[in-house]
Amino acid sequence: MLFLWITPHVLLVAVAAVVWKRRLYREFPCFFAFVLFEIAEFILLFALYFVPGAGRQYAYAFSVTLLLSLALRFGVIHEVSRNSFRESPFLKASARRLLQCVGGLLLAMGILLAVYAPGSNAVRWHAGVSVVNRGAVMVQCGLLLSLLLFSRFLGLSWRRPAFGIALGLGILTSVDLAASALRAEFASNAAQELLNLLITGASLVCVSIWFGYLLAPELKPVSVAVVPHEEVETWKREFQHMLRH
Amino acid sequence: MEAGVSTHAQALITAWVLVAVAFIALGIVVYVAVRSRTRRVDLEGVVSAFRSLDIEAFRNLVDSAEEAFLRKNLSPRQFREIKRQRAWSALLYAWEAGRASTTLAKVGQAAQRSSDPKIAASGVQLAENAFQLRLQTVRVSLHLLIEILLPGLQSRSLPPFADQYERAAETLFSLGRFSSEVQGSVRPKSA
Repeated sequence: MLFLWITPHVLLVAVAAVVWKRRLYREFPCFFAFVLFEIAEFILLFALYFVPGAGRQYAYAFSVTLLLSLALRFGVIHEVSRNSFRESPFLKASARRLLQCVGGLLLAMGILLAVYAPGSNAVRWHAGVSVVNRGAVMVQCGLLLSLLLFSRFLGLSWRRPAFGIALGLGILTSVDLAASALRAEFASNAAQELLNLLITGASLVCVSIWFGYLLAPELKPVSVAVVPHEEVETWKREFQHMLRH
Repeated sequence: MEAGVSTHAQALITAWVLVAVAFIALGIVVYVAVRSRTRRVDLEGVVSAFRSLDIEAFRNLVDSAEEAFLRKNLSPRQFREIKRQRAWSALLYAWEAGRASTTLAKVGQAAQRSSDPKIAASGVQLAENAFQLRLQTVRVSLHLLIEILLPGLQSRSLPPFADQYERAAETLFSLGRFSSEVQGSVRPKSA
């Protein structure tokens, strides 16, 4: 369990180093802030975990940092979508409208869920945090899914770092959604342990994806003169033929 | 007591529904990741897809004057049947144009990264036209679906899909011309 808790954060330090070295923090400042925040959060929570009698402080620190982390994740999603559509003014406007609609719809669903299925956790504030977390990850998961599907539908080519960040976050938020839905209903220690295991496992996968994609070199610009001239002539003939119709 | 049990059951159902949704989302994310590993864009496929689409035939299928003629000369039942078939054929055109525009967008984006400024500029234009064409095909498809479901309704004018299609084709043609000038072209890649 400790291994799964520590490893993703050690890898996060490596991710932060890669972001710094490749100067990706200029393009993804919010993501960089998120990574640094996650590392700082881990240090704080890890220290509190081993302090005897600091259970209450640990729980409060966990809740506050969770809410801040959720807020930063929204920033990362915004950053990734802005980065993906930056080369097309038309898409920038269309994607913004789509994501606003999806975000609004999911937010309404999250609020309805919070009102009608507030969970059965015995500790009131903990239940509140769980429900807020569930609503927020639902919106985030929906936004990332819409972003990936919309891009795929349009045939949009992503830049590697943006795609890696979206992919990792997509996996993390979908597992987080399942875990937070169950966490709101099952408060037993065994269930919580199992769900913690699930989340830390997903974090490890997510951070590994970030590390892999951020470390991989960007695809080289496409060179000319790699396709035979005859192939271009075939294109030309085909399109001239088509335009004559 | 019963109300409490029922509320608890509802909450449990909600939780499991969310778990199912989360795993479907996870499946889609993994699918998108795996599919986006495909590197090469099938240029021959784009050419043959564009070639196979007879845009004039599409225009005839959605021509309002022709529809008015059919409405006037056929019985209502026959008219509904014919209109449904025409709308279905037009929908297939729009669907294929949409698929071709997705590949066209990839070609445009690959050309965008070219070191030749002419090809890069043409690529920007091509990608932009392809994105617009893709979204137009969605609007047209929805419109045609309504016509298939309710053939008796008076048709409203379709979004300017055919014009957008021709614009995209023209840009693709100019990209081919620029590439030809430098004795080569682009081999697109995606993330």
